Amino acid sequence: MRLKPALASSAIQLLATGLVVAASSAWATPPVVAVVSQQAASVALIDVETTAVMATIAVPRVPAGIAAAPNGARLFVTHPDLGLISRIDVGARRVDARFSIGREPFGIAIIDAGRSLLVTDWSADALIRIDAETGAETGRVAIGRSPAGLVVDEAAGRAYVADRESDTLSVVELTSLTRIAVVPTGRAPFALALSPDRERVYVANVRSGDLSVVSTARLIEVARPKVGLMPYGVAVTADGARILVSNQQSGKLALVDADSLAVVADPRIGSYPEGIAALSNERAAAVNWAGDEVVLVDLADVKVIARIGVGAGPRNLTILPENGSMGATGADRARP
Amino acid sequence: MLQRNLFALAFLLAGLVCAAAHGPTPQKADESVTIPAPPEHVWALIAAFGGIGQWHPLVLKVEATGGDAAGAERVLTLAKGEITEGLDEADLAGRRLSYRLSKENIEAIPVSFYTATIEVLPAAGGSEVRWSARFYRADTSNFPPDELNDDAAIAAMSDFLRRGLEGLKAKAGGQ
Repeated sequence: MRLKPALASSAIQLLATGLVVAASSAWATPPVVAVVSQQAASVALIDVETTAVMATIAVPRVPAGIAAAPNGARLFVTHPDLGLISRIDVGARRVDARFSIGREPFGIAIIDAGRSLLVTDWSADALIRIDAETGAETGRVAIGRSPAGLVVDEAAGRAYVADRESDTLSVVELTSLTRIAVVPTGRAPFALALSPDRERVYVANVRSGDLSVVSTARLIEVARPKVGLMPYGVAVTADGARILVSNQQSGKLALVDADSLAVVADPRIGSYPEGIAALSNERAAAVNWAGDEVVLVDLADVKVIARIGVGAGPRNLTILPENGSMGATGADRARP
Repeated sequence: MLQRNLFALAFLLAGLVCAAAHGPTPQKADESVTIPAPPEHVWALIAAFGGIGQWHPLVLKVEATGGDAAGAERVLTLAKGEITEGLDEADLAGRRLSYRLSKENIEAIPVSFYTATIEVLPAAGGSEVRWSARFYRADTSNFPPDELNDDAAIAAMSDFLRRGLEGLKAKAGGQ
């Protein structure tokens, strides 16, 4: 087993949202990311150290969001037009369950140590809780219009959801599934990330091209710096020092200093980048939707260090926590 | 074709179609051409945001405001109606324009929103021009008629880019 105790006990549970990933600080360089390709209807597992595509798993049509269980054994993928969530057995590398969920499930996160899912429903304007074993809906709460990305702070018992067509951030209390606050943001909030110290939520606003910085203590927007054209993905480095924003229209990655909130660099990384994840303080992975690739970016040198081809139309990615179930690279990764 | 059934979000809230309100399933068109003329010469034709009518055979008339900088707008008259595009970024050093559809007209071109990028790169014997667009079909409900579905959108956008590049080549080539 290579599961790290620090990861298992991390106060901040896995923050996969299906749209963005805020890297938890418990591990240095996670070796595997899972990438969902919309046109190709597949999920690729990529070893980011060797840049090898370890597996490409077929899923139902037009997948959008993706999230990983905290033990890395399962991935969950949303399919908005099918009203479907597919569940992937990572060890077996295949879809092992399909759940009909709501009307247009889009953003997804995993809570309760993998036992429950939280899913945004774009056309029902709701956040839905689902039993990860059975697919049964166990609760829902009305939020803003066209909810997209979400991020969870389980230690605080909250989910934060970007209500794209309402230009708001909904704050939902998890135990009671109650919407406890509505925070105005920029125009068309889409993706979001939680700072490692859990004091801020960063919200990427697609139409206004800026980043709403929301204080989790005060539940107000405290700043809104411009970041670039059509920001579609956001992540934070493990040390909290850099906010990473993928600007889809200009093909750039904006590196934002968390203290000054200034864009300190914005290299062009490819064609229509979207989902992004911080792998460590020094490295990030992002998908290039039109380039059908994942890029690895060195954040210190501010340059692309690898381009890895994936199925057509990659939109999102998530870090796959190590759990020993990958199977392909040695005995130490035998299934538990 | 798989894309026939591809999803686009039903943001037909109260029957209103909101440009840029889309969610998960964008489509792509990507065309390129090699032109036997220097990059700066080809770029000069493209960088004049209101000058597209000088080289694009499907653009019958252009009314432009705001010059060639971000924030500029151009109203293109096509065979079946007008569309309006807004310039978001003019990267002079990179010879690259990024713009978006700011006022749709699905009679003129069957897409509900797009962003597009056109850039000029040095190439052997002259220039390579790459033109790409990311867009959504005209009818974003789950059951669009054939003329408003993903295939129709891809065909129309690809044709617009391809014929534009042919026109650009004819205008710039060899001069």
